[in-house]
Amino acid sequence: MAARQDAGDAATAGRRNGNLTRFAPPLGAAAPDVKDVSTNSCILQAQRLRKSVPTAEGELVILDGVDFDAAAGESVAVMGASGSGKTTLLGILAGLDLPTDGSVWLDGDEISALSEEARARVRGRCVGFVFQTFQLIESLSALENVMLPSELRGDRGAKEDARAFLERVGLGQRLTHYPRQLSGGEQQRVAIARAFASRPKVLFADEPTGNLDTGTGKRVVELLFDLNRDSNATLVLVTHDATLAERCDRTIALDGGRRVA
Amino acid sequence: MSPTFALRLAARDGRSGELRLLLASIVVAVASVTAVALFADRLQQALLAESTTFLGADRIIGSSRPVPDAFRDAATARGLTQTDTVAFPSMLFTSDAADARNQLVSVKAVGEGYPLRGVVRVAEEPFALGRVVDTVPEQGEAWLDSRLFPALGLSLGDTVAIGRLQLRISAVLVSEPDRGGSVFDLGPRVLMRVEDVPASGIVQPGSRVSYRLLLAGDTAALDGLHAELEPALAPSYRWRGVKDSNRSIGDALERAESFLLLGGLLAVLLAGVAIALSAHRYARRHYDHVGVLKTLGATPADVFWGFLGALGAVGAVGVAAGLALGAIVHFGIVAILGAYLPVALPAPGWRPLALGTSTGFICLLAFALPPLAALRNISPMRVLRRDFQASAASQAATYGSAAAGALGLLFWYSDGIWLTLWALVGSLGVSAAFAIMGLGLLRGGRVAGMQAGSAWRLALSALQRRHRESVAQITIFGLAIMLLLVLLLVRTALLDEWRAQLPADAPNHFVMNVAEDEVAAVQALLAEHTNYNGRLFPMIRGRVTAVNDIAADEWERQHAVPSMDGGHLRSERNLTWSDALPPNNTLTAGDWWPVDTQEALISLEDEYALEHGLDVGDELSFDIGGLAVQARVANLREVEWDSLQPNFFIIFSAAALPDFGATHMTSFHLEPGAKRFLNQLLSEHPTITVIEIDAIVRQVRSIVERVTQAIELVLALVLGAGALVLIASIQASHEARMREHALVRTLGGTMRLIAGALTSEFAALGAFAGVVAAVGAEVTTYILQTQVFRLGYAPQPWLWLVGPAVGAALITLVGGIGARRLVRSPPALVLRELR
Repeated sequence: MAARQDAGDAATAGRRNGNLTRFAPPLGAAAPDVKDVSTNSCILQAQRLRKSVPTAEGELVILDGVDFDAAAGESVAVMGASGSGKTTLLGILAGLDLPTDGSVWLDGDEISALSEEARARVRGRCVGFVFQTFQLIESLSALENVMLPSELRGDRGAKEDARAFLERVGLGQRLTHYPRQLSGGEQQRVAIARAFASRPKVLFADEPTGNLDTGTGKRVVELLFDLNRDSNATLVLVTHDATLAERCDRTIALDGGRRVA
Repeated sequence: MSPTFALRLAARDGRSGELRLLLASIVVAVASVTAVALFADRLQQALLAESTTFLGADRIIGSSRPVPDAFRDAATARGLTQTDTVAFPSMLFTSDAADARNQLVSVKAVGEGYPLRGVVRVAEEPFALGRVVDTVPEQGEAWLDSRLFPALGLSLGDTVAIGRLQLRISAVLVSEPDRGGSVFDLGPRVLMRVEDVPASGIVQPGSRVSYRLLLAGDTAALDGLHAELEPALAPSYRWRGVKDSNRSIGDALERAESFLLLGGLLAVLLAGVAIALSAHRYARRHYDHVGVLKTLGATPADVFWGFLGALGAVGAVGVAAGLALGAIVHFGIVAILGAYLPVALPAPGWRPLALGTSTGFICLLAFALPPLAALRNISPMRVLRRDFQASAASQAATYGSAAAGALGLLFWYSDGIWLTLWALVGSLGVSAAFAIMGLGLLRGGRVAGMQAGSAWRLALSALQRRHRESVAQITIFGLAIMLLLVLLLVRTALLDEWRAQLPADAPNHFVMNVAEDEVAAVQALLAEHTNYNGRLFPMIRGRVTAVNDIAADEWERQHAVPSMDGGHLRSERNLTWSDALPPNNTLTAGDWWPVDTQEALISLEDEYALEHGLDVGDELSFDIGGLAVQARVANLREVEWDSLQPNFFIIFSAAALPDFGATHMTSFHLEPGAKRFLNQLLSEHPTITVIEIDAIVRQVRSIVERVTQAIELVLALVLGAGALVLIASIQASHEARMREHALVRTLGGTMRLIAGALTSEFAALGAFAGVVAAVGAEVTTYILQTQVFRLGYAPQPWLWLVGPAVGAALITLVGGIGARRLVRSPPALVLRELR
């Protein structure tokens, strides 16, 4: 308990100093619910996350005091029933949304204290996504979709990189096809290629097989884990699927916005 | 986000068709504005140029004193062309000693180069149509009006005398451009050389002479000269431009300008709405796009500048294409209408192109930027949860910016704060009223729909379910249809008014000085040779001396309305008497007198009465040829002065003027080919005077015709912009509608049901919009016609049928074409495409 308070104080101190970027969290082995990973290798950490939204019936609490951490290269599954807060947690961990209370550290930055502008830069630097609904841009071809992360960073050689990734996911012949010309499985493979094209340190996957049949889902999962292993990225995977969760190093479970395992 | 990436983004969106509608809206906006502006600019220049023929010059300096050489030198220094005219009344004598005759004529002595604008027509025999010449009479020669030949028994080659000067008649003068002015003060024209004037000895100090310096050239130089001479002009010299030269032409031009301006404005506003709609649609379709970009690391600033760059690129392409299209459309119009435009159109200025370019970018910034700029606020969480959308504040900014842009454009185009304020109040009021009416119609439609068949029920409940969008669409469609109806109505009213003023058989000749004993013979001759069936009006000259026993001057000082300019109460007027109210006159106060009245009564023209503070019941005293006459005002009349019929300010009852000898007058229409009849008329009645105004009538009519063509053209362009708004608006709600119908199909709805429901939905939407448009059109037309164009107004019952019918037909057609493919596609495909 003492360690938690230390951590909170340190984070507050960091905020006071105005030195928010690249401020290493002084957390580590002392945290009681953290797996045995070294302080330095902990790339994603969240403390006492709370998220509530006002509704006509009063305040609706979606997350209530959730702690989370993941080491570099680790894969963590987040499970829970619909409405348990999985997707909200994923959004906050990835810096897409802000918690009402609590803090999130990602790759050395306290992203919960950053502006949207600064969080976007952190995402561009170290985060990749795979979504249940693929989220490909309809007006761009498969190749252009995969080129996007590199183009946004202004990298040279975006096209060659993207082509290489698409060939790795087996879509080397479909470069110029638009999302609507691809099957669900193919679209998800393009999405996986795009996610890895951003060379993420942390890959967030939200129900990646939710929209796919069992066979296709399996193939997509294989691909996801293969690429993850090769790139040594941390994988945070939100899923209903216990079999899929078992493939991860660790599983945490949510129920009613609280962490139950 | 780098600029090149932004451009690539725009190029990819463009290639996939995402930007097609936005681009098309910009192209059409810029093209319509450019085409209207180019054509209007050239036509206006041409109309002005042609109207200058009424002056015979671009500008005139007129005076009863000779024009100083300093004025001429100043004009020369500015590179202006100039020539002089000197006009004066004089007696013309024939030189036939055996049969010496004379006639009061109006002499115009002209210099070399006359006229600077317009043409002189001459003929070899009287009352012929004549040919255009580019010369003036030689010194020692004169050209005479047709009517002088039979009246004085002259023929070409004869010699006549003006003062001490002998002149040989070398041609019959058919027309000269600057003949205007009051036709009644004009004697028959004699055209001679200004160099001969001194030899005549006519022009002496105190003579009634009108000197004119005619000027032509570059507008800037003319305006410069005006500014330079301004201090030296007053009080003896008058500077005149085309608009001062002829009130009816000035009015026609002003109305045409107002109308072209209104048309151009409508095209811009309609295109602006189309741009706003397509930009909104584009933005809405990019919510997910932006969400994904943000998850990939795009910052809000990246998103803002990226889309601004894309918009700039689209704008540049759209404006360039719009300018080119506008120029092509305008050249097409010129080519089509060229044959009907006898005047050569001057080269267009740069202003229309600048107008098109600026309008394109202002439209983009005002209408398209806000929704695209709001994209930066899209939460990246949208990729996980679709209920994250643009904030409400950005929508307020959107409407604010669109309103500011529209007003800015209005102000810029109209260059008038009042028209802008009217438009602001009008559009806010109309939008609010339309929204309320739309809501009412939707509710009513829903209740009615419960009783209807399944397609209608589906359609009306869908409209009610999306009531916010439906009300917005009814408002937008209603506004578009209303604007088109207003334009159509105003155009019709303008044209009807002009045509009514100048019907094809409008009188084009006046006959005056008909003696009492000649009336029956002249009337019979006119009836035999023309379609004349009117009567001759007696005419005497007289003036008002007192009102209610107060001297006229004193009365005027007490009662006259100072702002009006209708001459003095004491001025000598043409008077007539009559048993019956003349045609083209309408009583506005009092009653017409019984035929057999023995009372001394008068009838006054209503504006004359208003100007001089006179009303029914006032007693007026007159001095008629030295005799005092008293009469009571029995009634007031409104007179159609443009009818070219004999019209009088003051009409007496016959009993008031029993023993006054009078001459008689009337006006009649004569076809150009029948002018030889004038020879017969003047030979049989040599003392009467015939005044030809057919040339003036022809000129006015030709201007009206041309203005009509311009108006029809502008209407066509505005219709095009309106159609674009309809397409953009239907496209904007396309996805929501299609998703619903695809779902209905998956639940077992047949293709026929969906097609029926869609048709019914579009028809209902169009009909509702038509109803609100009809209401708006009636009100707006009333305001425009009475306040802006100063025309009469009559309610238009047909609007209430045509508005809804046209609305339903148009929107069903446009919406149906857009929805056709999706109705036929399998629902799974539709759902997948719309995902």
